[in-house]
Amino acid sequence: MNVRRWVMPVVAVAALVVIAAAPGLLSPFMVQFVINLFMLAILAESWNIIGGFAGYASFGNVAFFGLGAYTTGILITKAGWTLAMALAAAAVVPMLFAALVGLPILRLKGHYFAIATLGVAETMREVVYNVEVTGAGTGLVMPIARTPALFFYLMLAILVAVTLVNAWLAHSRFGYGLVAIREDEDAAAAMGIDTTRYKTIAFAISGAFAGITGGVFAYWITFIDPDAVFRVIVTIQMIIMAVFGGAGTVAGPLLGALVLASVSELLSTQLVALAELFNGLIVILVVLFMPKGLLEVVKAGRGSFRVMARNLREYRV
Amino acid sequence: MLLLQVLINGLLLGGLYGIMALGMSLIWGVMNIVNVAHGALIMLGAYLTFWMFYLWGLDPFVSLPLTIASLFVYGYCLQRWVLNLVVRAQLFLTLLITFGVEVVMINVARLLWSSDLRQVAPSYAAANFEVGELTIPWVRLWVFATTLVLSLVFLVVLEHTRLGRAIRATSEELRAARLTGIPVAHIYAVTFGLGAALAGAAGGLWGMLFPITPVMGGSLTLKSFVVAVLGGLGTMLGAIVGGLVLGLAESFTATYLGPTYPNAISFGLLVLILILRPTGILGRKT
Repeated sequence: MNVRRWVMPVVAVAALVVIAAAPGLLSPFMVQFVINLFMLAILAESWNIIGGFAGYASFGNVAFFGLGAYTTGILITKAGWTLAMALAAAAVVPMLFAALVGLPILRLKGHYFAIATLGVAETMREVVYNVEVTGAGTGLVMPIARTPALFFYLMLAILVAVTLVNAWLAHSRFGYGLVAIREDEDAAAAMGIDTTRYKTIAFAISGAFAGITGGVFAYWITFIDPDAVFRVIVTIQMIIMAVFGGAGTVAGPLLGALVLASVSELLSTQLVALAELFNGLIVILVVLFMPKGLLEVVKAGRGSFRVMARNLREYRV
Repeated sequence: MLLLQVLINGLLLGGLYGIMALGMSLIWGVMNIVNVAHGALIMLGAYLTFWMFYLWGLDPFVSLPLTIASLFVYGYCLQRWVLNLVVRAQLFLTLLITFGVEVVMINVARLLWSSDLRQVAPSYAAANFEVGELTIPWVRLWVFATTLVLSLVFLVVLEHTRLGRAIRATSEELRAARLTGIPVAHIYAVTFGLGAALAGAAGGLWGMLFPITPVMGGSLTLKSFVVAVLGGLGTMLGAIVGGLVLGLAESFTATYLGPTYPNAISFGLLVLILILRPTGILGRKT
């Protein structure tokens, strides 16, 4: 146990050094792919905070992503802010927004919460479509920055930050509080956990990370419109990557993002619809065979087939 | 007079929302599954009707029984061999798996039929009749009448047949139902089949009024959910009343605020009802 305590951080730092050298070594195409991979991993980890630890399955986190993208876009093109300032705003605005909508909708449970978050995202898209300052349906064109390395390091930095937050949740009083809420909210409240405050803070942190990532995405992709940044499929990706790897764990969402983004990328070179179809099939198979994530199955080693068979039988009627 | 026209438009559309929500409410009430693929089932019904019209020249009203039967079989199989495997799991998992089903259905439709807008336009599509200053499109009136007939048939089946009693018994207490000899897995599948059939009927009718695409289902799922909650979960009559309320709300806001916020309106209604009357319009206090 003692050895593992310091081995993991050392491996992580070594891996980071290798990754940090990557933009110089990889082909431009691969750099773009890795930026995208980082982005999906961040989103999966950020969803994990509210959906995995606190157990509130948000189906509308793309609202924060899109809000961050538009915050950055508007501040840079209309107000002439610098990228750094705009990105800071892209974290703060969605964070406040998440706290604000979180107060009422986090009182809802289960299905009601899921659909309410879906509704928030859809409503955001419609509002953006109809407001002048966002460029309405035509979208916003950003100044072009042809420096892939910048986006690579920005995404990497955010990914490290969000992973550290998840690691902190796994070992902190606050994180234990969220898990207690997930397992039994009434019991958690009875133990003296201020559930409303915990849930709202978790939702806000989740929103802040999704938002700043949306900001980087906007500047990277240079053109945003409502359909590009409020796509429901982005929410689906966050959820399945987290669930595929193992929701409520630190490494799970990273693993899920790595596996699924790679396969997805291979398929979308053929056809986008094919890649999305694959996403859907994965969702179905994951729910049937490994609802607790890939990590649980992998950990079982030789018994992994038995674990999957047990999962399949567990909830049938 | 405009007011009356808006009222009629809303009611005529509301009938469609009613049968959509009826299917959703049934599946939700009996199996505690919020079927996110509901909109995709509506989409499938719309496309079946479209192809039968386009390839064989079948009138959409004539082909409706075929659409309904196909969707019933599809829904039955989906529940029997896929959803029944997870039906007792936590809500998140059943929600997620229907999400997966939706994504698969939408993208299969995109691959097979492309993302083009299509419309079922029989020769009488533009025919109107006038009462005083009111203009009423024949198609909308017939669609409305069909939804009422279907709802009525469905309510009778659920309330007054052996099958309906079995469904309601299973809904109330799974274990007790099984002990009395009800084949629960089969009843679940039939229930989902009925829900899918209603969705398919709604889709077939929808295609006569609006263009259809593979992604048309997303906002319809949201609307079905809102209506089911609005009317009171598990009350079938409530779903129909809720549908009419949503139809009216959309019709009035489209006339007086502009047609640009359809989803925002259903979502606003949802939040309002959850705050003001969590049991729905016709729901009972638990």
